[in-house]
Formats: sequence, C-alpha cells, structure tokens
Amino acid sequence: MQGLLRSRRALVGAVGIVAVAIAGALILISALGSDGKQAAPTTPVSTGAAATAPAPPAWVPGAAATQKLFGGIPQTLNVLGDPKAPVTMVEFADLQCPFCGEYAIDALPAIVEEYVRPGKVKLVFTGLAFIGPDSETALRATYAAGLQGKLWNYLDLLYRNQGPENSGWVTDGLLRTVGESIPGLDADALMAGRSSAEVDDAIALSTQQARTARVDSTPTFFAGKTGGALEQVAVSSLTADAFRPTLDALTK
Amino acid sequence: MTAAQLRAAIALLALAGVAVTAYLVDARYSGTRLACTTGACETVQHSRYAKLAGIPVAVLGLGAYVSVFLSALSPRVEAAAIGAAIALAGLAFAVYLVVVQVAVIDAICQWCLASDGILFLLALACAERLRRVPEPPGEREP
Repeated sequence: MQGLLRSRRALVGAVGIVAVAIAGALILISALGSDGKQAAPTTPVSTGAAATAPAPPAWVPGAAATQKLFGGIPQTLNVLGDPKAPVTMVEFADLQCPFCGEYAIDALPAIVEEYVRPGKVKLVFTGLAFIGPDSETALRATYAAGLQGKLWNYLDLLYRNQGPENSGWVTDGLLRTVGESIPGLDADALMAGRSSAEVDDAIALSTQQARTARVDSTPTFFAGKTGGALEQVAVSSLTADAFRPTLDALTK
Repeated sequence: MTAAQLRAAIALLALAGVAVTAYLVDARYSGTRLACTTGACETVQHSRYAKLAGIPVAVLGLGAYVSVFLSALSPRVEAAAIGAAIALAGLAFAVYLVVVQVAVIDAICQWCLASDGILFLLALACAERLRRVPEPPGEREP
C-alpha cells in the first residue's frame, strides 16, 4: 500500500510538473509575441500638439505608406485603377472588420503593384456597416473621401489605425486627422460630405449589392472579366498569394 | 461516479471543446465572421495573442481537446496522466488568456470563455481521474 501511494504521489507530481512546464512555455511564447505582429494602434499618434490645442495633429501612422501605394493610380468614387482594365475585382468590407484590415495591409499592396498599377485589374470597394455604429460612421467618411477621388487612400489609412470593434474608436477627431493626412484631400469638405445625398446613395447601393450577391461576411471578393459576370473568389488566406491564381487566370 | 463514467464525462467535455475550437478554426480559415454577442470576438481572434509561434491558439486548443478525448478512451494509467497534464496545462494557459483579454486587449471573446468553462470542468474531471490512480482492486474496470 505504501508503495502504491508513493507511486501515485510520484505520478501526480510528474503530471503537475509537466503541466506547469507546458503552460509556462506557452505563456512565455505568447508574452514574448514570437510572431512579431503588434496590435494596430487604436488612436492616432500625437506629434506633440500642446495640451490646450483642440486640433489634432495632421498625421496618423501609415500616411506615407498609403500615399506611396496609391500615388499615380486613377480613382473614381469607389474604383481604383484604369476604368478600362479588363478585369474587375469587387471587395465587400466593413471598416471595423479586422480581417478586412488584414487583407488591406497584408495582401493589397502586392495586388495593387502587380495588377492594378499596370492596368490589368481595377478594384471596386463596396462598404457594408453591419458590425456596429462605428462601421457606418467610418463608411460615411470613406465614401465622402471617394467624392474627392481619395477613397482608397482614406480606406487604407483608416485600416492602419483600426481600433477594437464598437469601442467608439471612430471619432470625429480620427476621421478628420486621417483626412488631413492625405495630400490633396480637403478635410472640411470630407466632414461635410459625410451626410450628403451622394454618400446616402452610395451606402444604399452597397447594401443592395450585398443583398443581391448574398454577402453575409466580410471581406468577400468577387472577380471576373470587366462587364461580364463576376464570381466569388474563394481564398484560403488573406495574402496576395491566395488571390494570384484567380487574377493570373483572368488576366492571362 | 465509476471510473468508466468519469472517463465518459471527460470524453463528452472534450468533444464539447472540440466543437467550440473547431468552429473558431473554421471561422479563421474560411474568413467567416464569428457569431458574437460581446461584439469583440474578432478583435480577440485577430490580436497577436490569438497566435502562438505562428499557430492560431484555436488550432492548439483543438489539438489539446482531441488529445484529451483520445486519452479518455483508454483505461490505462498513462492515458489518465497524459490527459490530466494536457488539461491542467490548458487551464493554466486559458487563465493567462483571460487576463490578457481583460487587461491588455480590452475585449472579451465569448467563444474563448465557453472553451474556458469547458476546460475548467475538464481539468477537474481529469484531476479526479488521476487522483483515483491506482484504484483499489474492487473498483477496477472489468
């Protein structure tokens, strides 16, 4: 009996040590952030405005990268690229959706450089607002930027400063600062344009298109020959590699 | 509760864990939005804490639940030990992730909490199974 107890104690002790070792290793790896990916900042970085100054700084993280990515590419409302491009890819997205932000940051730059800038593909943004109130607030500003031909810059910069869902991160201050960070964009006109009839119409049209296409999650992509039927693009990950087979086949 | 009933309870709890984590894994790879009443599931699922050395935590959780389920199928002492080690390690890591959700990410994922609840019960059951080893001859399995 004594032997059995000793044996059981040894077993329990060994299990405890192994469990602690495994948990410790997992926590250590997690805390050190071995994948090196940092969470997106939820508020714009201050450039040192005085505490009493009400106006936020005219700069948010990622402004330079956004400007470089889209510079020189034609934009018309929600379309990026040559209007006569032979292939069209439509994205249904919600500004609060982290997957959409992941696509914009991880996949979009390569797609823009390889397919959009050379005039092979044009991209169409179709905004949805189903995650919560912040979605529509962000979407209205994004479409208002589209009225000035800067929708894609604005969209990209908002994703780079995306906050947690429905946390109230889409403040007027952020929307204005993002606008002021984009060269050539009139931030005052943007703020006023959010409640314009054109933006109302754009949101109504997007919602209708999502319903017709039976889109129930974001991001959802459709691609095809321009003017022809578009088919949903099934992607296994939100990287440029996942889109290349479809885009290569269509642009061949 | 007999040893066989305890193992059945462990198997059922592990299957519940498999269901929750399989849903999270499927949502992650298919790009589907999670059904979420706390409004922040995707914030948690896409935080840097949702991956461990590049592997989604949901995938690790799925593997752990499957392993515990398999351990419950065997009456052997080694199986009880392996199941308990995985469940207890998982519980400790889950407690850490709850702290991270509350204190760092500032967002709660209800699916993670569901998994945490299952894991808590699973760890209790596995610990009890281990406590009963070795069992007196009268309670041995046929």
